[in-house]
Amino acid sequence: MNQPFPIKSKVAQKVWHNFERDLVHKLAPLPKDEGNDIRLEIMSHLYESASHDEADLEEVRFINAIERLGSPEEYLDPLIADILLTQQTIKGDPRAIYQSLLASARKGFFHNLATLVLGLGYFWVIMIFIMSVMHLGDPDVGIWYYPSGNFSLSFSAQPDAIQWQPKWFPLIGIITSASAYWLLNKLLSYLFAKSK
Amino acid sequence: MGSDQIIDRWVPQFRKGLLEFIILLKLQQGAIYGYELAVEIKKLTSIEVAEGTLYPLLNRLKRDCLVTSQWQTAEVGTPRKYYQITPLGLETLAKMKTTWTQTHNSIFNMVMQS
Repeated sequence: MNQPFPIKSKVAQKVWHNFERDLVHKLAPLPKDEGNDIRLEIMSHLYESASHDEADLEEVRFINAIERLGSPEEYLDPLIADILLTQQTIKGDPRAIYQSLLASARKGFFHNLATLVLGLGYFWVIMIFIMSVMHLGDPDVGIWYYPSGNFSLSFSAQPDAIQWQPKWFPLIGIITSASAYWLLNKLLSYLFAKSK
Repeated sequence: MGSDQIIDRWVPQFRKGLLEFIILLKLQQGAIYGYELAVEIKKLTSIEVAEGTLYPLLNRLKRDCLVTSQWQTAEVGTPRKYYQITPLGLETLAKMKTTWTQTHNSIFNMVMQS
């Protein structure tokens, strides 16, 4: 089997495994795939760096390479913070969604368009949810149809209009808005991941 | 605090601020992997930064769609993640170069007049 990082000395193997163990521990808050990707990249860097070091002992070459990499906090913390922001967006954290939309808006025409569409989507989803909950206390809140074929979302009874599903509106509204919120989060996280 | 100490503190900060620009300049010449990039930056600019600090910068450039990355695993040898500049990265780099030239010229004039 192909061994990507062959290490001869036992002591050097210990240095390598200790460093890798620390890395795995520090990357634990990340999704498994992201954590593994970063770990492999850092270990690959470490191996290359050690193999170009001029020290006689293999373990010293690894220790020197670890020193050249710098403090893990210095390079892992910003990386982890960035990836966790994406993760929180997937989970629907409103602050992370706001930050992602803001980041997306700074990336040119396509991203501005996506931000506008997603922003409007979130706006309507939240509106429908609020109206559905309000309907429980005030039955006039809902969707109203006019004989002309137009309809409106309204917080009060509309003259000459018929209310759409007055009995089921809260249930339909809450389920639909919750599903749409979940879908928008998925779409935002997909776009966010695609842009990475 | 002496002027040498102040300069010792100022120079790394000044150089670190330029790292993203330098990374894009290097990537413009072709795909490169993390370790090679760190070595090249040290060799070409004498900037002494911890090699690991390149990775959050590369991640940020990736998140901003200025670079892409791809693993290359040979039958024998170390797996390497190569970074490549995108069309948006090239466009941004062109603007960075303009800004750099304007800033450099302004400061150069100020230095010559002083």
